[in-house]
Amino acid sequence: MRPARLASFAILALCAAAPLVPALASTPRELFQSGNSAYEQGKFQEAADAYEKILAYGFADPRVLYNLANAYFKQGRLGAAILHYERALRLDPSDRDARDNLELARGLIRDRVPETDIPYPVKVLQDFLDALSIELVSVVFLCLYYAAAGIVGALPLVSGEMRRRALGYGAAAAWLCALLAGGALVYRIQDRTAAHAIVMADRVDVLSGPSADNTVLFTVHEGTRLDVRNRRDGWFQVSLPNAMSGWVPAESVEGV
Amino acid sequence: MHVPAACRRLPILLACLLVAWLWNGEAALAQDIGVRARVDRASVAEGGQVALTVEVSGSSLGEIAPPDVSGITDFDIVGGPMSSNRFQWINGRTSATRSYTYLLRPRRTGSQRIPALGLLVNGRTYRTDPIDVEVLQGGSAGAPGTRPPPPAGGPAVRGGPGRAQGSMRPQPEPEGAPMVRVIADVDARTAYVGQQVTLRVLLDTQTEILNLGMKDTPTFPGFWAEEIKLPENLEMRRVQQGADAYSEYTLMKRALFPTGSGALTIPAMTYQIQVRRRSTDPIESFFFTPTETITRRTDPIAIHVQPLPASSRPDRFSGAVGNFTLAVTADRKESRVNDAIGVKVRVAGEGNLNAVNALPLPDLSDFKQYSPRISSSTSVVGDRLRGEKVWDYVLIPLAPGAQTIPPVIFSFFDARAGTYRSVASPPILIQVARGADGGGGPAGAAMAQSDVRQLRRDIHFIKQAPDGLADRSVPLYRRSWFAVLLLLPVAADLGVFVYARSRNSQRANARQRRERRARSLARRRLREARRRMSPPTARAFYAEVAQALAEYVAAKFDTSAAGLTHERIEELLTLRGAPEEDRGTFHRCLEACDYARFAPTSSGPEEMRRTLLAAEEILVRLERSLSA
Repeated sequence: MRPARLASFAILALCAAAPLVPALASTPRELFQSGNSAYEQGKFQEAADAYEKILAYGFADPRVLYNLANAYFKQGRLGAAILHYERALRLDPSDRDARDNLELARGLIRDRVPETDIPYPVKVLQDFLDALSIELVSVVFLCLYYAAAGIVGALPLVSGEMRRRALGYGAAAAWLCALLAGGALVYRIQDRTAAHAIVMADRVDVLSGPSADNTVLFTVHEGTRLDVRNRRDGWFQVSLPNAMSGWVPAESVEGV
Repeated sequence: MHVPAACRRLPILLACLLVAWLWNGEAALAQDIGVRARVDRASVAEGGQVALTVEVSGSSLGEIAPPDVSGITDFDIVGGPMSSNRFQWINGRTSATRSYTYLLRPRRTGSQRIPALGLLVNGRTYRTDPIDVEVLQGGSAGAPGTRPPPPAGGPAVRGGPGRAQGSMRPQPEPEGAPMVRVIADVDARTAYVGQQVTLRVLLDTQTEILNLGMKDTPTFPGFWAEEIKLPENLEMRRVQQGADAYSEYTLMKRALFPTGSGALTIPAMTYQIQVRRRSTDPIESFFFTPTETITRRTDPIAIHVQPLPASSRPDRFSGAVGNFTLAVTADRKESRVNDAIGVKVRVAGEGNLNAVNALPLPDLSDFKQYSPRISSSTSVVGDRLRGEKVWDYVLIPLAPGAQTIPPVIFSFFDARAGTYRSVASPPILIQVARGADGGGGPAGAAMAQSDVRQLRRDIHFIKQAPDGLADRSVPLYRRSWFAVLLLLPVAADLGVFVYARSRNSQRANARQRRERRARSLARRRLREARRRMSPPTARAFYAEVAQALAEYVAAKFDTSAAGLTHERIEELLTLRGAPEEDRGTFHRCLEACDYARFAPTSSGPEEMRRTLLAAEEILVRLERSLSA
């Protein structure tokens, strides 16, 4: 009787815990396919549910995020769509489709925030780096770093003045390239870890302080991207590229 | 026509006035002017009307201005002023009375006051006494004997949809005033946004109308108003209301289209009407054409406007409300590349098309499309506004072959059915031949090119994952082995550095050891040479001495003895600063050994002993100089 009772308890515990975990009946791949087929049939909410389940598994694949953003876009939920396009681009900045869709979605939101003026060469460099995935930059940096370190390591083993001099120049060039790649990697890491948030509510009043009785400084609307500068007691201190800043309730925005 | 009649009577009037003046003997001055105000009832029900009469009486009235009623704030003036004159001639004294009558409607219940009104008579101001009127809430009130207002409905000849719900409350006329009323009337009290509501303004009268006009230009806020033309000569109809017969005229018709939803109001309109007055004074009737100008005002009409249903609204809804037909025609079915085709899109039907601005023809990729010429016209059929709008397009075919102008879809809201409807034209097939210059098609070298145009924008389609999904939430740089990979070259370089230093150190030690052992090795060779110092072994003796010298230099300079030539030895010794004399001695000794090795017969024991001594000596001297 005792083992049977234990088995019954185990089954009951499993049944109780079942709703707390993602649908174990489907693998992420099956969910992805079912989401895609629902999307193709115009069932965008159903598709979004399937993609959300995949994310609940911990599969942060940029294609899942991209498709989820598309499903939200088709439902007219611009804030959620922009949020997931941003997340997809963080994982795969080279995805031109996601970049195009994000630009299209941003063109449909109500707020138009002027970007800060960046000199043209810097803008070109930024665009170039933004299009590179952090994995690619990491691999390039590692290769250059190993090349430079290898040349430096070979220097003590080489005899002959000419050889040593040639190796010295090679080591300097390799280190310079490795430094540049390291700088690009740091830029990409900073970009990836920078705190941004998307406005999810229809309209949000940005206040002068982290409580509701503060002065309303300005209002932002769904889909606007904010830079998060500080967090405090359920409030985010946010700013816009044009230096306007204030506090918003944490539940009105979603971090990228 | 009355002016000539009045002119004809003017001499008679002047004669009578002359007689009266002569009879009285003096000019009547306005010393006995009396002014008073009265109302026809002391209490009135809420929403009812009270007639206010201001009378000026005196033996001679002269110039009288109408009373200033701007101070009446508790009442709306819904009619008036109606003025009348009365002359009396009693016992040779004349008296005249002029009265002004207004119809007032109280704005609130309770005791309301008509303030003192001022009149200007012969340049002097007179004031009436204020009058209090009790306004009762609901119910009915009024002085007995007041004529009840005519019934609103009744067996009227006039009719029309919505008459019962849209008709106004008839306005009671004060006693003695002519029966004239103006009624505003709509065909529907509820409508959708954009649906036509027809407004009619009717004039019912029992007296002759001499002239009429609107006091203000009518405005219809919240409506798009289109005038429905009336005949130049107003048509009169006879209507019967109870026992009263009226002549009815239509004064105005407007087709009103609500532009927004909610409660809209057609404001009141005020007419000033000049009518022939019934006069009981035979003299006045004889000498004058008694007229008076009265004011009539319609009541505002509330219209409830419903919004168009949003749930089933088609994507291409044009904003038109009504019932329309669509026709698309092309002026030719065959054309050539770059030859223009005229396409006419015509939308017509009952409703207002002025608000329709969307172009009905979609963008066509194989045609160059110019902005259309738009023309519109309206007409009225049975009080309903009919509109027609025509878009004249000019299309230039860009490619040869069978080109199709796709169906044009025009969506509108049918207010009567309460649903959206769409009408579509059939597709039009256009056979496009190559241009006259051979353009159009691969064979044509001069085909006109055009930019590929973006017709509309949408997001890119979803992605597939044929290679499966992968979790990329943890980037490469945050994996633990990435740090290991970063540290690995540093450690390797450090290892190489340590190894190289160790190797160099070992090499340096070996060189020093060999250098230290150079003299002992040379001595050992020289001892061996001394042992062979005899003529039979002269060759071996000299070989040992030469070997001792060469190996000494090789050991001192950490090089191989085999490759040492005289020049190299000279170079090395010079490099270490050996004196020239020692270098010369060293070379002579070495050359002597070389010579004796190849000609042993030429050297005896004495020669060998001197050579040995010279070798020992030079080694001692070199050891001293090189060590220094």
